[in-house]
Amino acid sequence: MTVNYIQLASEIALDKRSKDLRSLVLDALEGGGRGHLGPALSLLEVVRALYDSVLRHDPTNPLLQQRDRFILSKGHGCLGLFTVLADHGYFPTDELKGFCSFESKLGGHPERATLPGIEFSTGALGHGLSVGVGMAMASRLRKEEWRTFVLVGDGELNEGSIWEGALHASQHQLGALTVIVDFNRMQASGDIDSILSLAPLTSKWEAFGFEVAEVNGHDISQLVEILGRPVNPQGKPRAVIAYTVKGKGFASAENSTAWHHKAKITKEEISALRAEVLSS
Amino acid sequence: MRQKALLTVYELAKHDSRVVFVGSDLGAGTLQAMNDELPGQFFMEGISEQHIVGFSAGLAQEGFIPYINTIGTFLTRRSFEQVSIDIGLHRLPVRLLSSGGGMVYAPLGPTHTAVEDFSLMLSVPNMKVFAPADAFEMENLLRASMDDKDPYYIRFGKGGENTVTEHYTNFDFKPKFFGADKSEAALFTTGVMLQHCLGARELLASKGISVTVVHFPYLNDLSLSQTASLIGSASLLLSVEEHIPRGGLFTQLLHEFANARISTKNLYQLSLPSVFSHKYGSQADHLDFNGLTAPKIAARIESLLITNDK
Repeated sequence: MTVNYIQLASEIALDKRSKDLRSLVLDALEGGGRGHLGPALSLLEVVRALYDSVLRHDPTNPLLQQRDRFILSKGHGCLGLFTVLADHGYFPTDELKGFCSFESKLGGHPERATLPGIEFSTGALGHGLSVGVGMAMASRLRKEEWRTFVLVGDGELNEGSIWEGALHASQHQLGALTVIVDFNRMQASGDIDSILSLAPLTSKWEAFGFEVAEVNGHDISQLVEILGRPVNPQGKPRAVIAYTVKGKGFASAENSTAWHHKAKITKEEISALRAEVLSS
Repeated sequence: MRQKALLTVYELAKHDSRVVFVGSDLGAGTLQAMNDELPGQFFMEGISEQHIVGFSAGLAQEGFIPYINTIGTFLTRRSFEQVSIDIGLHRLPVRLLSSGGGMVYAPLGPTHTAVEDFSLMLSVPNMKVFAPADAFEMENLLRASMDDKDPYYIRFGKGGENTVTEHYTNFDFKPKFFGADKSEAALFTTGVMLQHCLGARELLASKGISVTVVHFPYLNDLSLSQTASLIGSASLLLSVEEHIPRGGLFTQLLHEFANARISTKNLYQLSLPSVFSHKYGSQADHLDFNGLTAPKIAARIESLLITNDK
């Protein structure tokens, strides 16, 4: 039986923790008066599942050698990552309110040099996978057991460099590498099928030599089960296609290109969003 | 020069497991033995320059020292964003070994001639840009690179160059002097053009004209103060480079002259033109066509000295 992940992702209710994290996202959005809201919310449960239950990491020692590496290749989804990192204690949650301000460590895209917990600076799309391939190769060469996870956007798959990285990950059989596709089926200016269709996405990754799994990208238990599966470091790299909803949890922002990136956000808009997340 | 560079990387890799070689569909060639002996430090990847730069950045972020080699135009043009962000922004010790600097690949046309590579790479914050003059200097540079955490761009010549830097046994980033502290004319150059400038110096010496040649293997900082007495004494200063007129050695000289409040009245330029050449032939053909051979450099100096006298 075919599972309708799109419907499941749309219908699943958010638990208290997911709502609390969204409130923190709004703190940052309000502080900066701008931000990529939609992408941050589609990937929030993926990042939460990783940091809560999958990744080996230590907020008190962000450069722990044996940590798993996580690269947010779609750097514009950083409000989701910043929120989870702050919630885990990588930096005080109050710093979220300085988002995008001149002296803040939190810019509109994540930077390794400024913020603890950021593995690699991203923002220009299509870079993270090749870097992740290099990191996964490093763990193999060092005979270490840490894993590498790279989260890419579906729109980001427009970039040819992603597929260069995919070919090489497969060529080297980097089984300790997992690519997660935030498959919210929208990109900046519209739905992906109207701009550049990725279909058939699952068989595309299979054809590139990946072991592919699909998952409801807002279902924490499913995410933890699939992302936490043991890896075979000498086997096929993995691609996890996470079906998500852009703007998940805020009715007015869901599947909305207007909230992909928004500047000059008003207090009234923030108040309306806060009310929406409580009722979601 | 390329062969010496690759063999030096192999030597460095034998003694330091952090050193890895990354190429893109070059064939193992010179490095077959490295591939056999150190397979974990040798990566011959696909024709994917963007990928190999990002891949190397990932390795470097984890403590490795990748030496990437492929054709210079593909490293500098195609991979520019990866070079800028993955390497430059992260200030990672990735070394870009650029085959075919200048007009080496002239017969292959403008897609393969790296005539603006200095300009592109000097524009990347944190990137250190080098053009050694011969295989001897190349080896010294690569050995010195092991102690530096910054990214490097290193331009290769065609190979087979005479060894002219044998008096400089350690690479120290400083300009190299060929001639007296004071002379009638000074030639400022970089990379394999040093060979042609030294030829010009010889030709002029036979005519009683004294010339000192200064080679700048490191283009980010020319340490111009070291040339103060030369600049003060010479009535003619000529910059000679196998590069388009802007963004390379001459531009760096202008910056340093201006910062030091030195007059550029006597400073002239010889370079390639700012064009995508539609002529083929050999590198030598192009150097001759553009006045960058020893006899033509010498003739240019003579003519400028005469003009300056009037």
